[in-house]
Amino acid sequence: MDELVERELTVPESVEEVWRSLAEPEWLGEDAAIELREAGAVRAGERGGFVEEVDAPRRLVFWWSAPDEEATRVELDLDETDTGTHIRVTESRPLAILDGRDLAIEFGAWGGGAGPVASAGGMLAGARR
Amino acid sequence: MATADPADAVFAALSDGTRRSLYATLGERGEATATDLARGLPVSRQAVQKHLGTLAAAGLVATRRSGREVLYRPTPGPMSEALEWMAEVGAQWDDRLAALERQLARRRHQGASGLSHRTGA
Repeated sequence: MDELVERELTVPESVEEVWRSLAEPEWLGEDAAIELREAGAVRAGERGGFVEEVDAPRRLVFWWSAPDEEATRVELDLDETDTGTHIRVTESRPLAILDGRDLAIEFGAWGGGAGPVASAGGMLAGARR
Repeated sequence: MATADPADAVFAALSDGTRRSLYATLGERGEATATDLARGLPVSRQAVQKHLGTLAAAGLVATRRSGREVLYRPTPGPMSEALEWMAEVGAQWDDRLAALERQLARRRHQGASGLSHRTGA
């Protein structure tokens, strides 16, 4: 059982429009940037991380951490509704033991997607459903 | 409870409504016996004692003996580690989603005044 935070928001924009906004992430914090591709960099202020999964325009999973903090996993899911888009975000720290920077380095070495960290994350996410 | 992560034991212990209310009552009173705690609840002293044992195993309550009585008191440590994180991260996402909503609304207005491009709604 992971520690997990979940938040939801429904907006009138289409899934595609919301997705475009995710790519211009002023909303994520000051000086924020996300490269929307697997193993792409994530930055928001002093936080740094990398993208685990991209399924445009519906799903984005990334890991990040602030200096001296545990790495956490963020999942953003967009679902089309009759009136717009339902956004669901969950943040969890399933691998509290690992330091964020080590994780990013190792993930980079595996070339993205197929590494054990990505699999472990996927399993944890899957187990919740 | 053989869990690697102390937070798991904390959340498991607090997954039960009776235990949550026992923990909350202990928080208010500071210290109490199982008999005291059972008085305000529709459960037996034995049941209260069992619940307190689960809370103690999760590190949420500590005990001390005073004469013939066992007094229970809350230990906020493990609770605060897990829950403070959730409260902090939750508040951050409230802010970020509010900012995303504003960003989308801004774009909506710019789109309406600038380009005459509208998706039919």
